[in-house]
Amino acid sequence: MKPAEASLPSDTEVLVKRSFDAPAELVWRAYMEPELLRRWCGGHAGWSMPVCEMDMRVGGRYQWRWRNDEDGMEFGFTGEVLEVVPHSRLVHTQIFDPGNMGIAMGGEPSIITVTFDEVNGVTNVATSIKYASKADRDEAFATGMTEGMEMNYKQLDEVLAVIGD
Amino acid sequence: MRRDIFQAIADPTRRAIIALIALQAMTPNAIAAHFDTSRQAVSKHLRILTECELVTQDQQGREIYYRLEIDKMKEIDEWLEQYRKIWESRFEQLDVLLTELKQQKKQERKK
Repeated sequence: MKPAEASLPSDTEVLVKRSFDAPAELVWRAYMEPELLRRWCGGHAGWSMPVCEMDMRVGGRYQWRWRNDEDGMEFGFTGEVLEVVPHSRLVHTQIFDPGNMGIAMGGEPSIITVTFDEVNGVTNVATSIKYASKADRDEAFATGMTEGMEMNYKQLDEVLAVIGD
Repeated sequence: MRRDIFQAIADPTRRAIIALIALQAMTPNAIAAHFDTSRQAVSKHLRILTECELVTQDQQGREIYYRLEIDKMKEIDEWLEQYRKIWESRFEQLDVLLTELKQQKKQERKK
């Protein structure tokens, strides 16, 4: 499958698109069932996912939390489910949970809309992250960068370790 | 401690300072006059912005002026690429999971 595409459709929105070689029904399950979600959202090298609680009914809440195995640093996301159309559309709010990272994040929750569109057994997934304001998006930049750099450095470490052997 | 542009823009006061000096270079006193916080607090923000290389200092006579480095703001684009990579690494694990789920489904059908 082609790698993910990310774009900034507006000052307050990030859009990520990716296709998966599987029917929408299975992709949907991977998003909705905690044990399956943990498999692909919780498996970054050096990080564990100690909290993955999800009540994916309209009005239900979810809580995800990641923990760095090395320094015990934790952060996560929580939110409320707004819309559930099986195999097709999932809308939920999302609030950054700073855990013990000491990053103050104010602001309103962002709205995550995930659409699933199956064509000939391939499912196109579009994820829109809509921040309440441009300021909130800029704050997400700050933490996203921290998270991303951390994870990528860990991966780099692994590669270097292999080369070193 | 590592400093980068994202740390610079994560704080609302720093974002306000950036917006202020984007229009024209200003002295610390002139900047501080726009905020309720102490002069020391503003100095600290200016120091962080300087460390992030988002602002540069310009000595003019006895005064120091702070100026915004516009090019540095372009790092936002690089951030988007970083963001994309985080998602892609998750999605690659999702690919693996989906292959497994498809196999399971086939097995179930055979039974």
